[in-house]
Amino acid sequence: MNISLKNISFSYSDSLDDAILKNLNLEIRSGECVVLAGESGCGKTTISKLINGLIPHYHSGTMDGDVLLGDKNTADMTLAEISRVVGSVFQNPRSQFFNIDTDCELAFGCENLGMDPEEIKRRMANVVQEFHLEHLLGRSIFNLSGGEKQKIACASVSATGPEIFVLDEPSANLDLKTIADLKEIVSRWKKAGKTVVIVEHRLYYLRDVADRICYVKDGQIAYEWTPAELEAKGAEYAASLGLRCMNLDQLGDEDMMCHSRLDRESPSSTESITFTNLTFCYHRKHPILDIDRLELPCGQITALVGHNGAGKSTLAQVLCGLQGNWHQKRAARKRGAYLIMQDVNHQLFTESVLDEVLLGMKQQDEKLALEILEGLNLKQYADNHPMALSGGQKQRVAIGSGISSGCDVVVFDEPTSGLDYRQMLAVSATLKKLAASGKTLLVITHDPEFILNSCQSVVRMEYGKVVEQYPLLGNQEKLIEAMLNV
Amino acid sequence: MIFTAPLVYSLLMVVVASILLLFEGKWKFVCTFFFVYLSAGFFFGQVKNLDIGTSGTIILASLFLMYRIMPACAVLYYVITTTKVNEFLACMSRMHISNKVTIPLIVMIRFFPTVFDESRAIGNAMRMRGIRLFSLRTLKNPVSFLEYRLVPLLVSITKIGDELSIAAVTRGLSTDTKRTCVAKIGFRWADAVVWAYCIAVVLFYVIPGLTGNLPSL
Repeated sequence: MNISLKNISFSYSDSLDDAILKNLNLEIRSGECVVLAGESGCGKTTISKLINGLIPHYHSGTMDGDVLLGDKNTADMTLAEISRVVGSVFQNPRSQFFNIDTDCELAFGCENLGMDPEEIKRRMANVVQEFHLEHLLGRSIFNLSGGEKQKIACASVSATGPEIFVLDEPSANLDLKTIADLKEIVSRWKKAGKTVVIVEHRLYYLRDVADRICYVKDGQIAYEWTPAELEAKGAEYAASLGLRCMNLDQLGDEDMMCHSRLDRESPSSTESITFTNLTFCYHRKHPILDIDRLELPCGQITALVGHNGAGKSTLAQVLCGLQGNWHQKRAARKRGAYLIMQDVNHQLFTESVLDEVLLGMKQQDEKLALEILEGLNLKQYADNHPMALSGGQKQRVAIGSGISSGCDVVVFDEPTSGLDYRQMLAVSATLKKLAASGKTLLVITHDPEFILNSCQSVVRMEYGKVVEQYPLLGNQEKLIEAMLNV
Repeated sequence: MIFTAPLVYSLLMVVVASILLLFEGKWKFVCTFFFVYLSAGFFFGQVKNLDIGTSGTIILASLFLMYRIMPACAVLYYVITTTKVNEFLACMSRMHISNKVTIPLIVMIRFFPTVFDESRAIGNAMRMRGIRLFSLRTLKNPVSFLEYRLVPLLVSITKIGDELSIAAVTRGLSTDTKRTCVAKIGFRWADAVVWAYCIAVVLFYVIPGLTGNLPSL
């Protein structure tokens, strides 16, 4: 089924003066796979919402122009009718499930369409086989990893058999191996003649699948390339548009890394911090985390890699005293380790940015707090409410509160997930500055571009154990290979 | 008599929830529940006739609220941990209850576990900052403790609520189509037993209690 967006203007407010899309035209042919790329806030997610009918039926705003699915205008259809032809997968695996167990979730869409129960069972059996979900049946969604959730989301949408699939940053929370599975799923849909629209920052995995990459800027389609064309223009061209790389193999090149090479060659110190007794289990027979000893180089950024469910987050929580037994928690308090969570909204409590930094201090010292904010480029926001800031600013406020509580070790849980190239560089700059000031950083990440840009050493985990630890310089290819094959 | 009469009668109803929860293997929850519930009821019975002043009245009121509300919470816990979304929807439509009533209810049921999940994450973040319930700081300023806990929770649950509704509507959940259901549901003898018990309790204790003719022990 082809999609056509004709002269679309849209604004989330009452007038089109501050429109996010301005007179946009886009034709997507039946069976085509189109990627919508662009910097955060450029309007690419809005386009996806126009296609799946959330605009105009769910989000309010001012709209001009027509969206046609086949020959039907979405404005004349109800959301339930649109959901028969368009299946949507979203970015946040946490909140896109309406059921609390996997079986029901797979059946949910079909049940809503009023299909015959026998037919639903047949379709469920089909998708389970197609997506290899046998081991995920009958599980509570609260016990699934991000990658597993995303697979279930794709499968349950697939079960209703829509003609069009719309995916909004589906890879944001996934490791490289799960992204490869996602690519499989997309190419299967394409083979079946479905039309696929993907909003995405990470482009490399869609290289062989996508027919077109549309670059959205200032509310319009500014450029269109085939993946080969974009790749031929080189990594620097993509970076200048704020796009992530097209080819992971190019990443290991020394050229790509030269801008950050200097500080890598001269590690600020040879000292290291030693952590012992990092173990954790829910059941005695199945330890989730089993590390006797972990050494992190002081004043450096260490990347913590490993597949979804390898125990990385558990390690971070035990290090910071959020999990584990009484001894581990006391040790964590003594050593002072601070966790910057993936969802920083969880750790901002107060009414102003300044209060947020003061809160963690043993002796409240406003001058010192302002100095910390200055270092994070947040001084002008000192009186703002933390919730009113942008995502990157919130993250920096959380970092500020960590610094003020006097922690020497700062652990980050996927600080760059779902960020475009420019935002990723900004996070990287903040982290480098933090490391230069003498803090020891451990960063859980699935983002090879970020690692090559900022980290000095790598720790790789598997099944709750550290399997490898090495300095990054000279081992770039090894790292990427390990991340792809985990 | 250690326990007051109303406590014993409310126990008759608590028993239903407990047995159902035990069938689900939630013995830990049931034990904790009974311990807190019976203590609250017991202390309420002990304190209520004493002359205890303002602060005592506050304690009395919270004890009263606790032991009156806890049974309802236990039932709610049973409902949200064991009811599957599709079974609930199917059962409601079988009872000819409008989707306009059912869908908001199901969103609520779906919402609770997520709220607990979020709340746990926020609690973790607070502990990392050294903000604890039992600490000098909280004792000095208990309101700020609540604020630290509630502000991020409210922000995140509004967002999640929105995303959940989007997930539901893009999957075709709507008020005007008739759903089907894969799961087999029906009214069986176990349901009949629970029903009969509840009706008996209402007839013999709740209605007389409301009209002031509560049978004495």
